[in-house]
Parts: sequence; C-alpha cells; structure tokens
Amino acid sequence: MSTNIDHIKEEHHQPSGIMRWITTTNHKDIGSLYLWFSLLMFFIGGFMALIIRAELFQPGLQFVVPGFFNQMTTMHALIMIFGALMPAFVGLANWQLPMMIGAPDMALPRLNNWSFWILPFAFTMLISTLFFESGGPAAGWTLYPPLSLQGGNSMPFVIFSLHLLGASSILGAINVIATILNMRAPGMTLMKMPIFVWTWLITAFLLIAAMPVLAGAITMLLTDRFYGTSFFTAAGGGDPVLFQHIFWFFGHPEVYILILPAFGIVSTIIPAFSRKKLFGYDSMVYATASIALLSFIVWAHHMFTVGMPLAGEIFFMFTTMLIAVPTGVKVFNWIATMWRGSMTFETPMLFSLAFIVLFTIGGFSGLMLAITPADFQYHDTYFVVAHFHYVLVPGAIFAVIAAVYYWLPKWTGKMYNETLGKIHFWMTTIFVNITFFPMHFVGLAGMPRRIPDYAVQFTDFNMIASVGAFGFGLSQLLFVYILFLTLKQPVTAADKSWEGAEGLEWTLPSPAPYHSFDKPPKID
Amino acid sequence: MNKLSLFIVTMFTSLSSMADWEVNMPRGVSPTANAAYDLHMLIFYITVVIGIIVFGVMFYSIFHHRKSKGAKPASFHESTTVEIIWTVIPFVILVGMAVPATKTLIMMEDTRDSEITLKVTGYQWMWKYDYVEDNVSFFSKLDNNSNEARQLGSKIDVNQVDNYLLNVDNEVVLPTDTKVRILLTASDVIHAWWVPEITGKKDAIPGYINELWVDIKKPGVYRGQCTELCGKDHGFMPIVVRAVPKQEYVKWVSLNQKNRVADKSE
Amino acid sequence: MSGIKSTITKLSLVVVAMYAFSYALVPIYDTFCEITGLNGKTNDVAYTDNDINKEDRFVKVKFISNVANSAPLYFEPSVTEMTVQVGKPYNTHYVMKNNSSRQLHTTASPSVTPGKYAEYFKKIECFCFNQQTINSGEVKDLGVQFIVDNDLPDNIGDIVLSYTMFDITNNISESNKL
Repeated sequence: MSTNIDHIKEEHHQPSGIMRWITTTNHKDIGSLYLWFSLLMFFIGGFMALIIRAELFQPGLQFVVPGFFNQMTTMHALIMIFGALMPAFVGLANWQLPMMIGAPDMALPRLNNWSFWILPFAFTMLISTLFFESGGPAAGWTLYPPLSLQGGNSMPFVIFSLHLLGASSILGAINVIATILNMRAPGMTLMKMPIFVWTWLITAFLLIAAMPVLAGAITMLLTDRFYGTSFFTAAGGGDPVLFQHIFWFFGHPEVYILILPAFGIVSTIIPAFSRKKLFGYDSMVYATASIALLSFIVWAHHMFTVGMPLAGEIFFMFTTMLIAVPTGVKVFNWIATMWRGSMTFETPMLFSLAFIVLFTIGGFSGLMLAITPADFQYHDTYFVVAHFHYVLVPGAIFAVIAAVYYWLPKWTGKMYNETLGKIHFWMTTIFVNITFFPMHFVGLAGMPRRIPDYAVQFTDFNMIASVGAFGFGLSQLLFVYILFLTLKQPVTAADKSWEGAEGLEWTLPSPAPYHSFDKPPKID
Repeated sequence: MNKLSLFIVTMFTSLSSMADWEVNMPRGVSPTANAAYDLHMLIFYITVVIGIIVFGVMFYSIFHHRKSKGAKPASFHESTTVEIIWTVIPFVILVGMAVPATKTLIMMEDTRDSEITLKVTGYQWMWKYDYVEDNVSFFSKLDNNSNEARQLGSKIDVNQVDNYLLNVDNEVVLPTDTKVRILLTASDVIHAWWVPEITGKKDAIPGYINELWVDIKKPGVYRGQCTELCGKDHGFMPIVVRAVPKQEYVKWVSLNQKNRVADKSE
Repeated sequence: MSGIKSTITKLSLVVVAMYAFSYALVPIYDTFCEITGLNGKTNDVAYTDNDINKEDRFVKVKFISNVANSAPLYFEPSVTEMTVQVGKPYNTHYVMKNNSSRQLHTTASPSVTPGKYAEYFKKIECFCFNQQTINSGEVKDLGVQFIVDNDLPDNIGDIVLSYTMFDITNNISESNKL
C-alpha cells in the first residue's frame, strides 16, 4: 500500500476558535465533537445513576421523593442511550470510516455538521424539563401509555427532543451508508472492508429502518395527549399494548444498534493485539447481518407478560433464542483469533478481552430471559436490569473506551500513559462487576425495577451495588485525567502506533492530517 | 461501645439473616412457580457449563499464546468446517431448551377447570379484589406502618417495621389445593400483579382483561409487589396472599360477604 | 457524485416508508387482533349472520365489569354467569348508575378472555357499539345480545366477558387531557 502524505495547505479563510467548531465540515473535527459530547453526557447520565444508587443504598427514602426518583431513572436511560452511547459510536464512525476506506471525508460534510449540532440543542431541551415545576419525564425511557399520557408539561418537550435526536441519527446513518457504498478507494470491495466498516454499515441500515418507527410511536403519543386521537386508550377503541408493539419494533433493533459497532471495535482490536488476522472474516460479516435481520422479529420478548396469545409467545421465544446462534459464532471467532496468536495486553486489548467475557455473561442472562415461562418471573425485576447493564456497560461502553485508547495515538499523535490506562481498566472492571452482578441476585429474589425503596431483605446486595457504582463513577474521573494528560504530551506516536495494527488509517502519519486521502490510496 | 464497633455488630447481625443474601428465585408453592424455577435452573446450569468451556478455552489462550512467553502467531484465519460445527451445536442445544420451555408455557396458559375466580384491578396506587362467585370485594393498600416509615425523612428505622413495604391492610385469602383463575385489569394505567412464590406475573391493562391461574399447595403468607411502573408510588402497592385450607377459606368468605352487599348500592 | 445522490434518495424513501409503516401498524394490529383474538378483541360492529345453528354443546360465560379511572359510576352485570348453548342467541344486560351530580357521556370497551376464543363470541347487539348519555342519578339497563359461534373449538373452559366503562365527558367537550 502506498503512503499518502498530505500537502494541502489550510485555506486562509478557515475560521478558528469557536467558529471553527460550529462551522466545521471536517469528519475528524466532527468526530471529536461527538466524542467530547458523548463524554459529557456520560458523566451527566452517570451522575443521575449515582443519585439512584445513593437512594437505593439503604431501604427507606433518604434523599429524593419517589416522583423525582422516577425522573432520574427515565432521564438516566435516555441520556445514556441517546446522549452517550449513540453519539460515541457516531463519533468513532466519523473519525474512522473515511480513513479506513481511503476517502477524504464523509459523503455529506455539511449534513454531518448539522447532525452533530442538533444534539446539544436537543439535550438542553430534554434536561431542562427536570427544572419544570411538573418535573421531567417519569414514565421510564420506554414511555408506556397510559402512564406517559399523565405526564406534566415536560411531555411535548421530551417528544420534540426525541424527534430531533432521531433525526440526527437518521441523517448520520444516511451519511454513513452513502459514504461506505460510494467512496471506497478503488479495489476495496465490500468483502475487503475493515470489519468495523461492515458493522457500521449494517448498523446504519438498522437506524434507517428503526428510528422512523420510534418517531411514529411518539407522534401518536403526542396526538393522543393533545389532539384527541386514541391510539392507546381503550375508550376510543385503542390499546395501550399497541404502543408497546410499535415502540419495541423500534426498541429491539435499537439495542443492536447499540452493540454492533462495539462488535466491530472488538473485531479490530483483538486481531491487532493477537498479531493474527480476524478468524472467519466472512462469517463475522454474515453473523452481523443475521443478527440485524433477526432483530426485527424478536421485539415482543420485551412484552411477554402483556397477555399475548400462546402462539405469539412461542414464536418470539424461538426467534429470540435463535439470535444466540450468530452471537455465539462471533464470540467463538474472537477466541479463535486469539488462539495461537502472539498476544500482548495493552489497555485496548484488556478492555476488549473484558468485553468478550462480560458481554457473554450478559448474553447468558439474555438467553435465560428469552425463555418465556421463566421470564414471567424475571420480567420487570432487577434481573433484567442486570442483563442489560452487562451488555451495555462492560459491553458497549468498554468497546468505546477500548476504541478511544486504541485510536488515540492516531487522532492526536500522542500516547496515553499505559500504566494509568491499566489502572483505569482494573478499577473499572472490578467496580462494574461489584455494581451489576448483585443485581442478578436481588432480581431473582423478587426485587422489582423502577422502585425507589425496597423490602429489607434486599438491603445487602443493594448496598454492595451502590458502593460499586460510586467506585465505577470515580474510576471514570481517572479516564478523563488520562485523556487530558495525554493531550499535554509531545507528539511521539508512530504512524503505525501498534505492532499488530492493520488498516489504511495506520498508513497515515500520527496525528492524522486534517485532510487525508484527498487522493485515494492503492488497495492490493 | 464506640460507633465503629456498633456499626460492625449491626452489619454482622444483619449479615447473619440469611434471607438478606438470597441469590436465587424461590421454588415456590404452586405448579407454575415450580415449573418456572425448574426451567430457570436448567437454563442456568446449561449456561454455566457453556461458560466454563468457552472461558476456559479463552483463559488458556490468554495464558499460553502470549508474546511475552515467546509465542509466535499462527497464520490460520478461517475454517468453514469449524464455523459449521459451532453454529450447529449451539442450535441443537437451543432446541433442547425449547422443548421443555414450550411444554411449560402451554401448561401455564391453560386456565380451564378453575374452581374460583378472583378479579384483580390495579389502581394508582393500590389493588382491588373481587371474588366473582363468592361475592367478596375490597381494596388493599400498603399498611400504615410501612407508609409512615417510607416517607422521605421519616427517621423511622424501617428494619423495625413488620414486613416493611410488603404488608397491606386487607390480605387476599385463597384456599389451598384449589385452581384459582385470576383475572387482571386496571383502572388507570398499566400495573402488573406478582407474587413470585405462587406464580409468574402478568400485566393489568386498563380496558382489557388478562388471566392467569394459581394452585397453591402449601398454606402460608406470600408477598409480592406491583411490577409495572405505574407512577410515583409504584413501589408502594404490595400484595399479600394468605393461603388457607378450604374450610377456613369458606369461613372467611361468609364473614366478608356482607361487605360486598353494602358496596353494591354505591 | 450521482452515486451518492442515488443512495441518499433511496435511503430517504426508506425513512419515509418506515415512518408510514409505523402508522400502518395501527390497522395491521387491529386486523391481527381480530383474527387471533389478541387482548380479547371482539367484533365492534353488530353480528348479523343468520345461520344460527343450535348445537348440543354448552359453554359457561361469566360477566364482569370495571369502571375506568374511578369514574363516579356504578356499573355491574345483572347476571354474573350464564350457561349457554352454542349457536343460540342470548340476551343479558348490565346496570349503570350515574353517581355524580352532572350529566355524563360514557362508552364501554369489551374484552374477552381467553383471548383465543374472542373471535367465537359474537355480539349481535351491544351497548358497547354506541356511547351513552346518562343524567345525574339516572339508572340505565344496557343490553347485550350475543351468540357463541359454531366454530368454537371443543374442550374449552369458561369464557369471561368483561366491560370497562369510561367516562368520556371531558374528551368530547375539550381537547384530550387526563
């Protein structure tokens, strides 16, 4: 592969300071904007989690009234999903996709800018509802009617904010697909693309198909509340369960949107640090596509207790169990990549290995949840909370953190402190398990979700979980410290910052030039 | 005694109460609860075995295939045979799980041949019980001691409250060894009725009627909670079922039937 | 460049189509419910098939009632259960009383359990097909004429017919709010 050295000078009228960031159409700038925004939202959502865990430290109510507690659980989820995780993955997509396919930028650079700047506006609006007299949304991030229709004045703002977030995601997804399908360097066939590009391509299709359905569902909520429709009230011939079907038709693909890019990251980092090619590249692509397709026919497993006909319960049980097959294939392929490799354990690798183990544990609890008659006992308890936090925190979030450590030298030209990185890893991993593992127990023992107070037999594990949560939160301050410390370093990173790293981005200098691959590279 | 010792003693005293460290689902006292538990344990054991094997291989690799031990990377990176094997074997395991799961589900959804019918209505934030054939009807809400103690800043030690948050003013009384059909609905928003030891939960949806069945084999008091977010006091509308032998149930019905007649004229 | 444009056009169409699909789910869900009896939906237009065919099969039907949102209504079935012959029409009624001091507009929503038998429970006449206006203190008899269809499978248990009565007075005069 030829190295492409960028000689293009900055144009004289390129703005600097704040205006640079507001008007930038550069995929690297926009990637950074998304990532910093995500980090901020991660701390805001995390702060809400700590309010929740502080209240749940002991039985009895010590800090907040139940109504505010419900606002915290609702907002914590909305912010983490739409403000922290999704923008993080979009940020990674922005930074990496053009470089990985040898393109100069995304297909629609100005749309890219808009897609980002919608987010701070939408989240300011969303978070501001917490300061309304009637408070913020408190019906859970799932917004089930009729409860969500009882909401105060926050409701139209929440819905508007969600529409904006959805629009941002949809526009971003269109941009990603247009870029990947049209701007690959000549010679890079689809089956030669880096696996991270594949997982983002498939994720983008999921976004296009699923987000508009959420838009429909929340619009129906809005008109039910303010315009006299009755989609979800029996009085008018509607059905609250209809909302659940529409919401989860979006909601299940959504959770795969949250994990597929993470799979791509892990599939990139494991080979790099095993010094061995990804095992079964073709299988990994097909498995990812199968997961995406299957994700459209499993939605009602979120609704097993709603009173579905037996045939429906059986159908969704089977399809949900089926998703374990391609997911298992991916886990086996990662391990086969490691097998007889030559591994080293720098921070990105540590987070990726922890991902494999802990995400798989989340997968096991997911398989248990798929079994409908057992789910009648698990549903709406902390067992579910444990499951999804395992797949999202030591799952998706670990992948994002791994990606940041992995590509930081490429983005900045500076190496992070490896010792501090390892400390961050061990603290995070230990505390994440202290926080979420006990939730399996209290859930099985009978503790429901979304309650601010609990019967005294649940005290001990809740105490442990709360201690873990604070430990986990503090550990992330170390991460921020590591980032800022890194930025203060001199530029020392090599073009190929990791011995086993493969891909077009590693043929560029570190830091990658502001404009890269203005001429497409040659692909063998 | 200084505060630290007091703290340690209190912690150990509460630690010694084994219920606090409960890690598993109760096996329960009815066929449906038993079936859910047995299925849960089966799937759990299968995932444990799979986990031991998969993580075992993984940790072996981490230990042995490392650069610091001098390992040189191999160059293999695909094998159709192996991909087929590790697609088919999990699929077969899943089929093995699906068979008992389907049988159990069919059993749970069969409400025929019930002897009595109990209609449960969820309200914000209490339950209403109507015994359809036996003409008994009453509301049931969180008991006063719990309600007082749970207020923010109440300064009441909740560990001293009897069955804190799991006690009600009016209990549901049901006969043992009787198939009871439970009809579920709600007045305002979606709730869910759940007493883990006697059966799995089902949603109570306004405007619609759901059903499940229980057959409690052992007399006793069984406690549960609302399990669908229904507003601010979702965590404060528990359920208490007292299962008694049939004769006791009949006596209880006759004592309480009068309430129903009085309600009718409202 | 035209490759990008074509991609964007197609994707935008998909976005619009999926948004429309979410609305299409509303009638799809309704049809699905009618076919499968999900959530116990029964016919909401009068059943007029004249092929009434009395069989030598009997089924117990239980009648229950609910009042939504604690509205000030008394609403109970006149009879809590009937043993009916399959294929023969029957009449029963519910009693409703307005316990408030003003005129109310009401509507009832039926639900049958087990859901899979809802499609065999046909209402020839039902107060749930229309809304009611009821004055303060007034008592109304609300009639139902129904027939259990011949296609009803064998060996089933009881059928429960439940009505939930809603006070929709506010919904008619103002914009919807709870």
